[in-house]
Amino acid sequence: MTDPLALDPILAPGDRARLPFNEDIPHDERFRHFEEHVLAGGKVESTDWMPDEYRQGVLRFVEMHANSELMGVLPEREWIMRAPTLRRKLALTAKVQDEVGHAQLLYRVAEDLGKPREAMFEDLLAGKTKFHNVFHYPTHSWADVGVIAWLVDAAAIVAQQALRDSSYAPYARTMRKICWEESVHIMHGRDVVVTMVTGTPGQRAALQEALDRWWGPLMQMHGPRSEREKDRDIHWRIKAKTSEELRQEFLSIYVPRIRELGLTLPDPELRLDETAGRWVYTEPDWQELRTVVTNHGPKSEERLAFRRLNYAKTQWVRDAILSASSGGWRRGAPPPTSESERLLPAEGAIS
Amino acid sequence: MTTTRAALAASVDPATRAPLDELLLSMADDEFVIGFSDSEWTGIAPLLEEDVAMSSLAQDELGHAAALYTLLAEIRPDGHDADAIAYDRQPDEYRHARLLDHGRGDWAMTIARRYLYDTADGARLEGLVGSSFSPLRELVDKIRREERYHVMHATTWLERLAAREGEPRERLLAALEELAPDAATVFAPLAGEERLVESGVLSEPMALLEARWRATITPLFVHLGLPMPPAAAHPDRGRTDHREPFRWLWNEFTSVRRSDPVATW
Amino acid sequence: MTDQQPGDRASASESGPPLEPWEVFRQEKEGDAMRHGGSVMAPDAVLAVHYAREMYGRRQESVRLWVVRRADVHDLSDQDLLQPPLDRSFKKPGGYVMRDKLAAAREQSGQSKPKARAGRSKAAGGTDR
Repeated sequence: MTDPLALDPILAPGDRARLPFNEDIPHDERFRHFEEHVLAGGKVESTDWMPDEYRQGVLRFVEMHANSELMGVLPEREWIMRAPTLRRKLALTAKVQDEVGHAQLLYRVAEDLGKPREAMFEDLLAGKTKFHNVFHYPTHSWADVGVIAWLVDAAAIVAQQALRDSSYAPYARTMRKICWEESVHIMHGRDVVVTMVTGTPGQRAALQEALDRWWGPLMQMHGPRSEREKDRDIHWRIKAKTSEELRQEFLSIYVPRIRELGLTLPDPELRLDETAGRWVYTEPDWQELRTVVTNHGPKSEERLAFRRLNYAKTQWVRDAILSASSGGWRRGAPPPTSESERLLPAEGAIS
Repeated sequence: MTTTRAALAASVDPATRAPLDELLLSMADDEFVIGFSDSEWTGIAPLLEEDVAMSSLAQDELGHAAALYTLLAEIRPDGHDADAIAYDRQPDEYRHARLLDHGRGDWAMTIARRYLYDTADGARLEGLVGSSFSPLRELVDKIRREERYHVMHATTWLERLAAREGEPRERLLAALEELAPDAATVFAPLAGEERLVESGVLSEPMALLEARWRATITPLFVHLGLPMPPAAAHPDRGRTDHREPFRWLWNEFTSVRRSDPVATW
Repeated sequence: MTDQQPGDRASASESGPPLEPWEVFRQEKEGDAMRHGGSVMAPDAVLAVHYAREMYGRRQESVRLWVVRRADVHDLSDQDLLQPPLDRSFKKPGGYVMRDKLAAAREQSGQSKPKARAGRSKAAGGTDR
């Protein structure tokens, strides 16, 4: 990008009052300035200099998030077809659309850090990069749709809210937009659940069964406990809260809301320890989590294969638009379609 | 609500009711069924941004279907609501155009189908702009505004695919060929449509609306060197005898409702 | 790019614009400033506008969108130009603190501070300095 006011500088680069790490100084000094800036709450934009550790850290974090939004579509998309009312169908279509939209937003953030979209898709489909555990599991019934839209999205939003002040500003901004959009999903999910819970015995039973199945993955979702001091993502302020803090927050808000519907949770140990001010629970199966996120979950391979197949099948379309010029015919005769049916006027620009 | 519904139902004269019902049902079913193929691209469209776009198109169609089913529910005396009309029928009772019976297909098929349907629907909506049945007239006014975006999207893609020699153009031509026998089924004559024209509900018979549709799309098709869609192979069966892909779809989309017919969802 | 005749079709071997980022600016409601929303990847302006509508306008959250190729955006972030170090408070309201002088003038004139205008509240932005 050009600076239209760039004249021969009167001051040497080193004398200019810019963010020091953006200057051409020795690496160690730059690193130190950058770290001070971030630790003091400073923000980083895509065009700033970053140490490799920071750049890779953000990229890995954002890429996994983007992958999860994209893969997260697959458990739910078949239920769009089966949604039992017009309104539920509209709501679910919109929700899943938002997940794809979130993937777009997040891949854009990652792309601007230097990794092309195609490379990220290839790594995802080859199993080199990961996506969150919950999206490796099957859905069995419409009750799953409610549980996912309510509780999986709730667990995700707890994490996402804590990212709204990330040091990497493009990610922080995206998180704010995503959180705003996700709030609707949770309402839709809760509505589906409450409707079923107050419905027929069959619906109530299906819901309880779905909850029993999803509780384990939900408890694993935020990840194993880590020490705040050793967590590099927290050090660089990419994220602000630990896995355990997120899990506790999720439990505090949602366990009461689940129980008030007359639903039970399949963990006999689960309770709030008033004295300690924290929830006590059966230790989640971390081995299951490890197995699943390394793509050995019940649906991992099937879903990756599905995406691989469809990605390959649509390659011709990407090739077509990458080498087609949209205005090839415009320079000759005027467009035969009426102006009102054109997204842009023939000249293309706003006046 | 009941009073309005009764009044609305009463306002339609008996001779017009049956053909009006056919018209609304055919439009509602068209919008409902095309939404399924669009939604099948969710998560697997060629580009993330196109994925989001297809979803919007699907939601628009579904919204139109919902509004039309709701209107139908208001003029029918049996008290069934929009969801019941949309979901609780056998496959042979659906009245969507056979153009929409084809499976999702590849991107070229989707674009070809969308272009043919959206432009045909546009011609049909034109024929309802001054409808004597005011609830329909008002609804059509809103639907037309939304449909403009659909035609823009389908047009830009039709042009892109047609203009790329090789695989894109070939796939588009193959799609148009497969859809050809059913391309004009949106205009399949409706039983009693003379009554709709007489009473001013519809401005012209379907055959004339079809002619207008052809006139609208001819310049672009000629320009792009694409074969014009032929007349429907079996116009009298343009909205019946639905094929296997639709039967499979019906089985899927009614499965949750059929699992618990008394439940509220 | 060469002029093409109507009906000319690009051949498969011709390479054209790659996917590139387009910045999207949106106006939330009438009269608002255009604010940056984010970016979309597209090969040209027509699709960029479609995608901008989808990503930043599909739920009726915008009344206007501007879409610009990122490459056409000129970035100025030179802090010597934007945050020059010498005092510029004479260019800002905060540079004119009159509290003590006003108090002295009122004392001298024997007048008290005028009452707030009827109908003006702090919430309406009416503060009396």
